[in-house]
Amino acid sequence: MINSSTNALGIIFPNSYDNMVPDLVNVRLMASIPFASRYRMVDFVLSSMVNCGVNNVSVIVRNNYHSLMDHLGSGREWDLVRKHGGLHIFPPFAEKKSSLYKERVASLASILDFLRSQKEKYVVMSDANIAVNFDFNALLKRHIETGADVTVAYAKEELPESVFKTEANDRGFYYTMNIEEDGRVSKMYVNPRRRGIQNFSLNIFAIERELLIDMINTAYVRGQVYFERDVLLPKLDDLNVQSYCFDGYVARITDIKSYFDENMKLLDGKNLDGLFSAAPIYTKIRDDNPTRYLKGAVVKNVMAADGCVIEGEVENSILFRGVKVAKGAKVKNCILMQDTQIDEGACVEYLITDKDVHFTAGKTMRGTDSYPGYVSKGHTV
Amino acid sequence: MAKEMIAMLLAGGQGSRLYALTQKLAKPAVPFGGKYRIIDFPLSNCVNSGIDTVGILTQYQPLELNEYIGNGQPWDLDRLHGGVHILPPYQQASGSDWYKGTANAIYQNISFIERYNPQYVIILSGDQICKQDYSEFLKFHKEKNAEFSVAVMEVPWEEASRFGLMVADEDDRITEFQEKPKEPKSNLASMGIYIFNWDILRKYLMEDEADPESENDFGNNIIPNLLKDQRRMYAYHFKGYWKDVGTISSLWEANMEVLDPEHSGINLFDDDWKIYSRNSGMTGHRISETALVEDSMITDGCRINGTVKHSVLFAGVSVAEGAVVEDAVVMGGTVIKPGAVVKHCIVAENVVIGENAVVGAMPDENDSGVATVGPGVYVGDNAKIGPHAMVSKNVKDGEEA
Repeated sequence: MINSSTNALGIIFPNSYDNMVPDLVNVRLMASIPFASRYRMVDFVLSSMVNCGVNNVSVIVRNNYHSLMDHLGSGREWDLVRKHGGLHIFPPFAEKKSSLYKERVASLASILDFLRSQKEKYVVMSDANIAVNFDFNALLKRHIETGADVTVAYAKEELPESVFKTEANDRGFYYTMNIEEDGRVSKMYVNPRRRGIQNFSLNIFAIERELLIDMINTAYVRGQVYFERDVLLPKLDDLNVQSYCFDGYVARITDIKSYFDENMKLLDGKNLDGLFSAAPIYTKIRDDNPTRYLKGAVVKNVMAADGCVIEGEVENSILFRGVKVAKGAKVKNCILMQDTQIDEGACVEYLITDKDVHFTAGKTMRGTDSYPGYVSKGHTV
Repeated sequence: MAKEMIAMLLAGGQGSRLYALTQKLAKPAVPFGGKYRIIDFPLSNCVNSGIDTVGILTQYQPLELNEYIGNGQPWDLDRLHGGVHILPPYQQASGSDWYKGTANAIYQNISFIERYNPQYVIILSGDQICKQDYSEFLKFHKEKNAEFSVAVMEVPWEEASRFGLMVADEDDRITEFQEKPKEPKSNLASMGIYIFNWDILRKYLMEDEADPESENDFGNNIIPNLLKDQRRMYAYHFKGYWKDVGTISSLWEANMEVLDPEHSGINLFDDDWKIYSRNSGMTGHRISETALVEDSMITDGCRINGTVKHSVLFAGVSVAEGAVVEDAVVMGGTVIKPGAVVKHCIVAENVVIGENAVVGAMPDENDSGVATVGPGVYVGDNAKIGPHAMVSKNVKDGEEA
């Protein structure tokens, strides 16, 4: 076939690391957290897959997934409305005997029949807590060249500050790796607390479909839960687990502070280009008008999506679609999600406002640099 | 399955008075208002009015227009039965013809209309900026038990002689039609939007085609013939914003009016009557520390480091530090380099304006020309483009045009 798609199907785990950002996932899940003024977290991995010719993508949702269903729809914006492949959203399959699955092994076990019926030779898998413009073809190329059983992508970076807090273990597992000269992963560490640059797993994997099915089958009947901790880690000697170093831009959400910081970092043009220039990132279209700046608006160092109306002062901030800032209002160091409305004379600083938040005239609220405030969806202040 | 009303959209216009903008582009595909094209308005009006079948009659430079319309999905016009269809002239057993006139264009597509067997057909024009509820127009047409209705606007009497005018009685029944008369008897200008009973339209198209003398034009032939036969013809008063953007100055003016919805009456910020368009898919726009943005519309993908005042910027425009953009319409992907001054002008898509170049000038008493730079043009460093210029070729460094 000419221009045939990549011989891999994609799997996205949209609920991974939900409990790192409890506020933001109150009404949604990790994958549908708004990011970078007009996107949702899932857009990055999903678009990357599509851009790499992965046209058969499964999203295994667990809970709070209404917002994600609404966002993805039929998958049209990602060109995933296909007769062959396309977008599959797998909700939990309620059985009498099984409880709601929690982690990767059970999620994958729930779609084993589907996986068996597919044609693609390989599987690429990713969480949705990272915003990356990822090259899945480079990952697959490395996977095939090294003859690996499993290839895991990582980035050389420092661990986020949040993992050094005492409660970090309750918030899910993260992994670092020792890597041999030939790229083979010789050791994996679960929730290490080491300073300095680490080989920090991106939790993006390439694996042959048949092997994945075997592994999950075995792991599931043994009651294993975590793919990395329970399946890969004990078998590093037997399996050829290879690594792929991703040197592109990575924005990783590990807590609400990092959510705030990773958004703000995109105000720097270098970072913005780093994340977006490799290939287009698609998202749901809202058909907003262009953003309107009225007379008297003062705007410095701002990223804004379409559909905003700005009459007041906005500085060092990220505005999502449809934000309104009235005359005399002041917005500084804020992330204002979709349709936030700041009325006349109101003043906000170091805040994350969720969708449809309304600050009435003259109200003031401030967070701080080290602890940005958060106003939950639909609240009026 | 029969449709109550389908729309036929005349989009073949060359738009010769937009010269530099329409050399390779049909007029309905000309960008407008930051993220739209002119044709988005009639298409969105159709969908918002409940019309789900639209034939678009193309002829002049249709390539980009065809690509833009695609399967009609952005307007929700990708339908199993109906939807949007591009209708170019085509070869038939008895020979092939370009569309000779507006009426001939519809005539050649009678079989398209018959597939839907509608009761009514609305004829739309692809070169107007207007938000109109066609279902209200149809209601009027039915209430009057009309066979033909035309949407009209009241225009100032002193300008009336520039338009095709409908003379109507107290009941809005049309008694006379004057095409750009020296002595107007009415100030009701035809907007070129018609509703016909399909059987009547069909009959008059057939008769018109059989008349070798005819120009096959709605205004010049079909409407006079209907009048002659004393058909039930009514004038529907439309009271909203309407602008024919056939000239550079009217196109510029309409874009500027978008900046002032409170006074101009064209409000793109209306959730109840959205205008849909094919999206650029670019990331949010960036306004830096060094930028000054005021009284302007900025679209996704823009990077603003300079000064932007009272201007409309389309998707992906970049304005470098030290550049000044004022009273300007700057279309998608255009790059404005440091120190350039861009004023009171229309700059088309993917133009590069070099360092310290000057494009256009603010109007004074004797001169209010709107400079125009065509798509893809390279304007060199220190080049100068005067307020009346229409530039469609590259301008070298330091040259004047």
